[in-house]
Amino acid sequence: MANTEAALKEAMSSIEGTTGVALVDYTSGMALGTLGGGKDFNLEVAAAGNTDVIRAKLRTMEHLGLKEEIEDILITLNTQYHLIRLLKTRGGNGLFLYLVLDASRANLAMARHQLKKIEAELEV
Amino acid sequence: MSAIAADPDAPETDRLPVLSPMLQRLAAERATGALMRDRGTLYLADGQVVHAESPATPGIDVLLTTGGTLRHEGWWDAVAQAGAGHRVGRYLVDSGHVPGGALELCHLGALYDAAFFALAPTGTPARFRYGVAHWIGPVRPVPVAAVERETLRRREFLDRIWPDPACDSAPLLRTAHGTDAPVPARQRRLLELVDGVRTASDIAQALGRSAFHILVDLRRLAAAGLVEAVRAQPLPAAETPGRITLPEVTADPDIALLRRLRDALEAL
Repeated sequence: MANTEAALKEAMSSIEGTTGVALVDYTSGMALGTLGGGKDFNLEVAAAGNTDVIRAKLRTMEHLGLKEEIEDILITLNTQYHLIRLLKTRGGNGLFLYLVLDASRANLAMARHQLKKIEAELEV
Repeated sequence: MSAIAADPDAPETDRLPVLSPMLQRLAAERATGALMRDRGTLYLADGQVVHAESPATPGIDVLLTTGGTLRHEGWWDAVAQAGAGHRVGRYLVDSGHVPGGALELCHLGALYDAAFFALAPTGTPARFRYGVAHWIGPVRPVPVAAVERETLRRREFLDRIWPDPACDSAPLLRTAHGTDAPVPARQRRLLELVDGVRTASDIAQALGRSAFHILVDLRRLAAAGLVEAVRAQPLPAAETPGRITLPEVTADPDIALLRRLRDALEAL
């Protein structure tokens, strides 16, 4: 069992290439916790903005009549990966983990696997 | 325990929006106690926000139990065991009722939710009672600056979705318009509770979701033309001249407290 701070720390240290991580409430766009980032990468702004990414995808799925759930979303930039993992919460509140990875150091398959493990430990 | 009354919080200026000068002062002096405003209460410890409550938002008990994280018995057990010692949060985790991460997130959700309403603009003076602690006990303190920043961000966020606050507090009505796009499941559940009587706060209580989340969905539904506020009926003209003016009983009525009492009675 981990609190959010410990979970974010684990993501930062155990996932190779991670430069920032945030736990975000996707209805309000509020970052419930952030780690890393820095002054040239504002994680709170990224958190709020990426809620729109998820919302757009969920809406498209409704339009298409898909009855599936999003597990994660990968965005590939020139030098970074942004990985969004939607969490299943008991309260049914939409939360997601947002991970910023350095593309030259990261192992995507490993990162997705680790993120799944951190989700399980978070017990939200 | 002492209480002080303050001037009404100054209205926001365009340049520097200050939500509550009193709150900033209390943060600077690292005060501990309860800041009671017109629409809610912020609990401070050492100048940081440790909890918040508002009649407009479901409490952490509702969020935990209606959401299915915790059974009602578990909640009341924790209140009975640890309420007097102001350690309900700790007890919920230690006794295995609620995982630590879930409690923390739920508590943060409730705190920011209530703070959003508690810090709403008001002309009523705020009061601060030194030394008052909330029975939930320490969970995760938040700096005042973070609460103020998030509250302002939420206001802007709502206005970006749909700039009319009419739906935020009035009873709600479904419009006759059809929809050309499917309504997301979450908003559909909300829409089912719109009956011409319930307000956003009532719906939040019924669904066990944070009131701000309901406002976000409502503004989206309003923007889509699916929901509108019930317009207030104008008072019959006969009532106006017959109004009785009550004599001033005390020079210092605790208006914030009276309003909270009224809201609590109405919520019964």
